[in-house]
Amino acid sequence: MRRLVLLLIVLALISPIFGVWLANLIGYHEPLDVAADMINEAAGRPVLQDIRYQINWTPFIDYTVPGLPDWAGYIVSAFIGLAIYYVLYQVLVARRRRVKGVR
Amino acid sequence: MHIPDGYLDPISAGVTWAAMLGYGYYAYKHSDLSKNMEMILALAAAIFVAQMLNWPIPGGTSLHLVGGALSAILVGPFDAFFVLLLVLVVQALVFHDGGITTLGANVINMGVVAPLVGYVVYKALRRYGKFWAALVAGWASITVAGFAAGLEIGLSPAFPYGVAISVPVMTMWHALLGIVEGLITALVVVYLSKRAPQYVRL
Repeated sequence: MRRLVLLLIVLALISPIFGVWLANLIGYHEPLDVAADMINEAAGRPVLQDIRYQINWTPFIDYTVPGLPDWAGYIVSAFIGLAIYYVLYQVLVARRRRVKGVR
Repeated sequence: MHIPDGYLDPISAGVTWAAMLGYGYYAYKHSDLSKNMEMILALAAAIFVAQMLNWPIPGGTSLHLVGGALSAILVGPFDAFFVLLLVLVVQALVFHDGGITTLGANVINMGVVAPLVGYVVYKALRRYGKFWAALVAGWASITVAGFAAGLEIGLSPAFPYGVAISVPVMTMWHALLGIVEGLITALVVVYLSKRAPQYVRL
């Protein structure tokens, strides 16, 4: 498990290389966006429209953090996600083990 | 693969949410969450980070692991549902990656279809070798999940041109991308089978 945690930390730290830097270099689109573009082109008009920015509720949309450059926001986002799973682990696994151990 | 808000009409969104909840109850009854929760959370965390590692492809798209087949091979298809559910809920609620109205459809594609297809294909082909079985399982999981996404989009009244356009485009596109999913799935399964076989259920 310790190895996995180390691996996840390393992956989180290098994630902007793939998710930000290379994405900006090549021109990143989700595969579904590309398929939607094909569909829109085949249909001759925009029939599939992403409205996520019109109804957004989170400051961390697209793995960004307000006030931080994209690369730093991407790393912080990765750790936010990992922190959520860590908290869940503490609540659902570690705490239960401790309770069982006490009993 | 993450369908954003706006691609499905309210009825399709409601139906897919209901299907997700219904299957979720069935998966809950057929899984052992209390026993496997540690592995489920570990896989969810790993897949969450792995999905942030986009591999851009010249031409303007990118690839990342979905992990449906991999999860199913490691923990079985019903526990894999909860792995992908945890990934998709965090992505949708915290990062708005994938819509909230389309969460049901996304969970069906990546948490139900991909693991079930990956599981069945891997089980059927395992006798020919783990690497090739996992490779085909990963590829098939993405291809069929892409087909399912095309079906959902095509059947939604928000998309007036129907499945004749949406399904072939989505299926063919994801069949190409699925090769990388298959390769990553195969490498991880073979590595874990050798180094930590206790984590590989199948």
